[in-house]
Amino acid sequence: MMGLCTCAAGVGLAWLALILGALVYKGLAGLSLSVFTQMTPPPGDAGGLANAIAGSVAMTVIAVVVGTPIGVLAGTYMAEYGRFSRVTTVVRFINDILLSAPSIIIGLFVYELMVRPMGHFSALAGSIALAILVIPVVVRTTEDMLNLVPNSLREAGTAIGAPRWVVIRSVAYRAALSGIVTGILLAIARISGETAPLLFTALNNQFWSSNLNAPIASLPVTIFQFALSPYEEWQQLAWTGALIITMTVLGLSIFARSLTGRREDR
Amino acid sequence: MKPMLSPETVVAEPLVGKAKIEVKNLNFYYGESKALKNISLALPERSVTAFIGPSGCGKSTLLRVLNRIYELYPKQRAEGEVLLDGENILDRSQDLNLLRTKIGMVFQKPTPFPMSIHENIAFGVRLYEKLSRAEIDARVEEALRRAALWDEVKDKLAASGLSLSGGQQQRLCIARTVAVKPEVILLDEPASALDPLSTAKIEELIDELQADYTIVIVTHNMQQAARVSSRTAFMYLGELIEFDRTEKIFTSPREKRTQDYITGRFG
Repeated sequence: MMGLCTCAAGVGLAWLALILGALVYKGLAGLSLSVFTQMTPPPGDAGGLANAIAGSVAMTVIAVVVGTPIGVLAGTYMAEYGRFSRVTTVVRFINDILLSAPSIIIGLFVYELMVRPMGHFSALAGSIALAILVIPVVVRTTEDMLNLVPNSLREAGTAIGAPRWVVIRSVAYRAALSGIVTGILLAIARISGETAPLLFTALNNQFWSSNLNAPIASLPVTIFQFALSPYEEWQQLAWTGALIITMTVLGLSIFARSLTGRREDR
Repeated sequence: MKPMLSPETVVAEPLVGKAKIEVKNLNFYYGESKALKNISLALPERSVTAFIGPSGCGKSTLLRVLNRIYELYPKQRAEGEVLLDGENILDRSQDLNLLRTKIGMVFQKPTPFPMSIHENIAFGVRLYEKLSRAEIDARVEEALRRAALWDEVKDKLAASGLSLSGGQQQRLCIARTVAVKPEVILLDEPASALDPLSTAKIEELIDELQADYTIVIVTHNMQQAARVSSRTAFMYLGELIEFDRTEKIFTSPREKRTQDYITGRFG
């Protein structure tokens, strides 16, 4: 039995090691400063991924800025104000569905909601699609982390004469802070690799763009396009882009783990 | 066990001098089930009253009515009157936050807030008072001195309240309660999670605090009730069986059930 389990664990880990190994091997070859400073090239030319990286960062930032407050506040309602209410049960159920909804559906939804009425693809639509992916993750972790705060702490805050919102802000949030931040980091990790919702919303852009109302490049979509191309330079850039995303997600996950780890130490 | 006193030896003082809190015909419900049945009693000012009784008898419930902390949970409700200096605190118009600054509470498990030792105390003070930094510092020191914790923490006020030992955390909670200058302090089994040494310190503290505060303590430990309180209420199955001077309860209780409980025949 133990041998079987060890084998299964080994097989699982082996795939991960193979993927990481291939990424590092193929991606590292193309990694240089120009990747971060030059634009995506036309076929057959040398270039970089600067516009794709910038587009990804911009859309991720907007998605997090839009999605986090909504997610945290909704999670707070569920864990604090509406703890005993029926609404919370319904919201939690719907949120769980949203959490596991295929991201391409979210992309199509935002396409209908924003891209079609506006008549063109845009960075803003991409950001909104990503924000919709951020919200359920943040709602879930915020609610879970606040539920882990012992009621005795809320009672203690209340017993000293603090109004409800002060107890939530100064006691519950503080006790749950590292968990909530971890949730936000995991949400960022989740959206930073999303391709499908961006194909329908932000599309792509060969050039540098700071216009939120216009199509914008992003790492995942660029990888998708370049990896499928017959051009060697593009394929190399796709590998390097994949490496950059993977390392970013890995870094975020490790950072998130270190945050929760410290919490448990206390 | 103390020697039995004959009834004549009990000094005939009035049971209650000036009542700080008067409970009248109080009923309490958790949903459909009735947890307190028609409780009436008066708690004297600047003295310690103990609530004793077996688990589930309603002693903690009664304590939690006195600052209306039960309001945090739906489906819990109280009927009757609880008068604080003659004013009914169960009244709908009662400002609960203000009420709780007058009636402080310390819980069974130490509950330091996730902030520094200094902040743990300053937090409650700042809620309703606009004080300068120096005044806050003075209040923090005063409260920590009252809770006999100052000497142990004066060099690490910026450290987390969670870094203290269990006994220190509980004294921090008492300091935090004292710092907002309440009139009444409710203690819900404050020493049950502590070692004997910390327990002794807490009891000593209760003894000192009764000069200025009306104190109500719920305890499972009968020796503790006998040591710290001047009045004891014995409760059983949601009813107040007997309420009297502590030495009377422990030496010549009126009720057989009280006698059985304090001699350890049940509970």
